[in-house]
Amino acid sequence: MEYFLHILIIAEIYIILSLSLNLVLGFTGLPAFGHIAFAAIGAYTSSLLALNYGISPWIGLPVGAILAAIGGILIGFPSIRLKGDYFALATFGFGLIVYSIAKNWVELTRGPMGLPGIPAFPFLGGSLDSVFSYFPLTTAFALITYFVLKRIVNSPFGRILQSIREDEIAALSMGKNVTKYKLIAFTIGAFFAGIAGSLYAHYITFIDPTSFMPMESIAIVLMVVFGGMGSLEGSILGATILVIFPELLRFVGLPDAVAAPLRQMIYGLLLIVLMIKRPQGLIGKYKFK
Amino acid sequence: MEFQFFLNGIISGSIYALIALGFSIIYRTVKFFHFAHGVVYAAGAYLGYTLCISIGLPQIISVPLAVLCSAILGILIDKLCYSPLRAQKSPNLVFLIASFGIFIFLQNLLQILYGAQILSPRTGLIKEGHHILGAVITDIQITIIVVSLILFLGLWLLIQKTKLGKAIRAVSDDPVAAKTVGINSERIILSSFSVGSALAGIAGILISYETNIEPTMGFAAILKVMIAAIVGGIGSITGSLVGGLFLGLAENLGIWKIQSGWKDAIAFGILILFLLLRPQGILGKKTEKETI
Repeated sequence: MEYFLHILIIAEIYIILSLSLNLVLGFTGLPAFGHIAFAAIGAYTSSLLALNYGISPWIGLPVGAILAAIGGILIGFPSIRLKGDYFALATFGFGLIVYSIAKNWVELTRGPMGLPGIPAFPFLGGSLDSVFSYFPLTTAFALITYFVLKRIVNSPFGRILQSIREDEIAALSMGKNVTKYKLIAFTIGAFFAGIAGSLYAHYITFIDPTSFMPMESIAIVLMVVFGGMGSLEGSILGATILVIFPELLRFVGLPDAVAAPLRQMIYGLLLIVLMIKRPQGLIGKYKFK
Repeated sequence: MEFQFFLNGIISGSIYALIALGFSIIYRTVKFFHFAHGVVYAAGAYLGYTLCISIGLPQIISVPLAVLCSAILGILIDKLCYSPLRAQKSPNLVFLIASFGIFIFLQNLLQILYGAQILSPRTGLIKEGHHILGAVITDIQITIIVVSLILFLGLWLLIQKTKLGKAIRAVSDDPVAAKTVGINSERIILSSFSVGSALAGIAGILISYETNIEPTMGFAAILKVMIAAIVGGIGSITGSLVGGLFLGLAENLGIWKIQSGWKDAIAFGILILFLLLRPQGILGKKTEKETI
């Protein structure tokens, strides 16, 4: 039961990540390949605030999310004008730079040694340090993320985003400031990714740079694409399946040295097959343009 | 001591340039980032290791055979993954994502087959390098530089002077027009994949004698190579050489003052600067800006 809940908590954190990436990738059509970097900013911010200054994670989490959003503006502002592949590469590079900072700025992040003993969320005199108490928290955040993003994509603002995805030049000719809208969407995505990162840190209680490898961003892209771009429900489905399914490999009794790369191989194969056979994903409608 | 940094820059720049040459010739015909090129490079190193150390073939046979296998791997990647996507007229981003998929798949396959540990194909005693102007250079490092230059010249001649090169340029400039004059673009793409992947294989084998090999070696390499290709001017053969050397020098002269762990960040900083200020690269033509 505890193990099962643990997997669900991890799945919910990935749901937040893929929902927020879907706003950027699926609804706005921006191929952001560095999403895990914003989770890293959120995680490190609230962990360091709690460890060094004793600031409660309840404050650290929003501060981390805001810093992640600022990171989103900083990388988005210069790179959002780049087209397709180049934007993908620039954001992927940003992911690598954040990873590099986490690894090399030892005075701040303790580098590869990581940050152990991150405190849990305090709650009504106790703290949320068991899977039973943490599960409601991640569930709440996943639901909030879903409903906020649902509201956003169905609003006039969300329709502008989708019009940019469908036909950028038409949106421009309607007098929409395309660059501004893209930047806002990218920043919102970064904000929620920051929340996910912070939730992860205070749950696992240990983070190090390897938690935020650049390739992890591709796994989140896979979750979004697998579930269906431009479908929030699809992201929930995609993240859930792709987090739970590899766990089954454990029960087959494979040694860890084979199971971990095998899981990655399946991810890779899935990406290829999806692109060839069903680029719109399980329940998505939108295809790449 | 300063000269040593310069020399190290030239050496790593030559390897970047060698992989970037293959990357560029493929980019020219297909016009998307073939990210999986990095894993072909790693596979080349492992194929060389298997044929030479595990099976025990002499180098004179094992090296060409490993290069041939790398070329075949490139062809397989194109036939099995990219060709169906081309048939559906998929957009660039789909190719890029599929390419990431291929990369992840093959890199982890290498890890399952060979384990995550570091291997070395070197046998025998380590020889002391030659001293030049206070710097040290080994035989294999000299080989790397010379082979890179020869292959660059060879590829330049292939593109500029041969019929195949002409066809590659035609497909690169205008695939539809190329088709109307009877150029089989599928075949040209296959040739560019085989030539490009063979170059990646050669680079992998060379580097395996210089440093050691591990399954994840392709990741760092392909990132640097994409940066080198963009910095030099994407798709340009001369640009690959210039970009590769530029990046190698920038990284190695950079860590003269800064910790070596920041190499990757320096490289990506350069990329982002170039994308913002000179997206067509050092040697690229201004007109290409519209496509970026």
